[in-house]
Amino acid sequence: MTYRDMLDELEQRKAKALGMGGAEKLERRRAQGVLNARERIEKLLDPGSFLESGLYATSNRPEVKDRSPADGKIAGFGRIDDRPVALVSNDFTVLGASSSTINGKKIRHMREVAIRSGMPLIFLGESSGARMPDRMGAAGRAILGQDSTEYQRRRQSPWISALLGPCYGSSTWYSCMSDFVVMRKGALMAVASGRVTSMAINQPVDSETLGGWKLHAETTGLVDVIVDSDEAALLTIRRFLSYLPSHHAEAPPVHPVKEGASENAKRILEILPPDGAKVYDVRKIIEAISDPESVFELKARFGKSITTALARLDGRTVGVLANNPMFKGGAIDVDACAKATSFLVFCDSFNIPIVFLVDQPGFLIGLDGERRGAPAKIINWMNALSLVTVPKISVIMRKSYGQAYLNMGGGRNADEVVCWPTADLGFMAPEVGVNVMFGVKKEEDPERFQKLLEELTRDTSAWGLASLYETQAVIDPRETRECLISLLAVHRARHGSEVSQHYLSNWPTSY
Amino acid sequence: MADTKICSDISGSIWKVLVNIGDKIEAEVPLVILESMKMEIPVVSSDPGVVVEIYVAVGDAVAEGDPILLIRE
Repeated sequence: MTYRDMLDELEQRKAKALGMGGAEKLERRRAQGVLNARERIEKLLDPGSFLESGLYATSNRPEVKDRSPADGKIAGFGRIDDRPVALVSNDFTVLGASSSTINGKKIRHMREVAIRSGMPLIFLGESSGARMPDRMGAAGRAILGQDSTEYQRRRQSPWISALLGPCYGSSTWYSCMSDFVVMRKGALMAVASGRVTSMAINQPVDSETLGGWKLHAETTGLVDVIVDSDEAALLTIRRFLSYLPSHHAEAPPVHPVKEGASENAKRILEILPPDGAKVYDVRKIIEAISDPESVFELKARFGKSITTALARLDGRTVGVLANNPMFKGGAIDVDACAKATSFLVFCDSFNIPIVFLVDQPGFLIGLDGERRGAPAKIINWMNALSLVTVPKISVIMRKSYGQAYLNMGGGRNADEVVCWPTADLGFMAPEVGVNVMFGVKKEEDPERFQKLLEELTRDTSAWGLASLYETQAVIDPRETRECLISLLAVHRARHGSEVSQHYLSNWPTSY
Repeated sequence: MADTKICSDISGSIWKVLVNIGDKIEAEVPLVILESMKMEIPVVSSDPGVVVEIYVAVGDAVAEGDPILLIRE
């Protein structure tokens, strides 16, 4: 064989592997307006930066060896904003990107390199689940479980998943292990497909109900951001990564700040209604405080009485955990607890300081919450908060009642507590308190009710808290941005390092 | 055209109904105002659409999960 022959063979094999599942299947996707696995990689990464690993891998089963280019999962390294990443892009045109022995080895290698080298790991998900007949019988079982760290998350580097089509099996599992999940409308995520589920439970199952975007955005909270197209999903991944360090041992990147970034903060008094009975959308406050266009909300449709968002203050990443009175009056329900806890775990793992914006009437009490284990969720949150070692600054804007005063950073649960003059530090809504503590109802004895109400609302002001040195500052709300920037500068450099202790890094990725 | 039932996310009483059947609505804009925990809490839709039905009237008591409006996207 001459060099020429050898190089010809290389070219032929390369062309076959890059041909994926064949022109017909690729054309069908194009007609549907869906990107294929290689187009997704091209659009996600910096141009020309993809370095493939395992282009010539195939199934190890002789009967499909010839029609399994890259064995259905394309893996490799590349760069996003000039920082290295590892990725796996599922090629649905090759055996439905089903999970097999060989493509499992590719995933494992990406995972190991991403952890060892300290770079984000990205999964572009679309998979039909386990490959058959590979997984059948005892021999099929015997290829599973050969890596005891397969489902281990210690958050050494960020993991990101995109749900870009039907996702069953591995794409689902990796999404549930990821720090961030973006889903395209029309994609599905479930343990098994509608067809399999329908047969198992012997009743018709609608795929969208089983695993569509609404379910995951609003009910399970397993997805962070919903988008309309593949392209938007890939841009969203790039944007998410712009807030994060490449790994747990470095600080998040610093971005340039536009001139006049502090202008919006002056608008806070227009957003916050002077009448305590009126609600407002806390996301407007977050926008006003943060660098312009830097707010990136997570799980916007889930547990909505808590807002979680990444943002930048003076070019530096912060995690904002805010009560949103717009929903349930800010009363914190079980979903909101889960959302808060997972956000604390995430921020702490990647050295992102946390800003609490507080305006809450307490935890939402009721039968539904108790049935769903509300007490444990509340204390799980407290346990996480007490293990957080990134800087924590709590801003009490209006109400902070009950136990949730502590969950939102009250007392020593934040490095600094700042109050607005509008702060209200009661134990519970005073009208309810009069009834609960003294058994007096307004309609029965209005005079006594009013007297007791005054008693209960005495000394619930920011000034009371300030004189006890339980709030370290009382500020004009319009000074919040500058105040946070200054306080974070004080607390960020802990012995010269912006890296936290990561006591939460092996906490579950969902609750 | 998907119909979405907008349900109350908290128990309270209906204080104001701000829309009529047939109105075009934007996402995250108050449609009905509940009174709960001494606060005026808006009921909003996560998506834009058209109001198809209104299940409540001013003064009604509602529990968490009770339907308030039907929106067609």
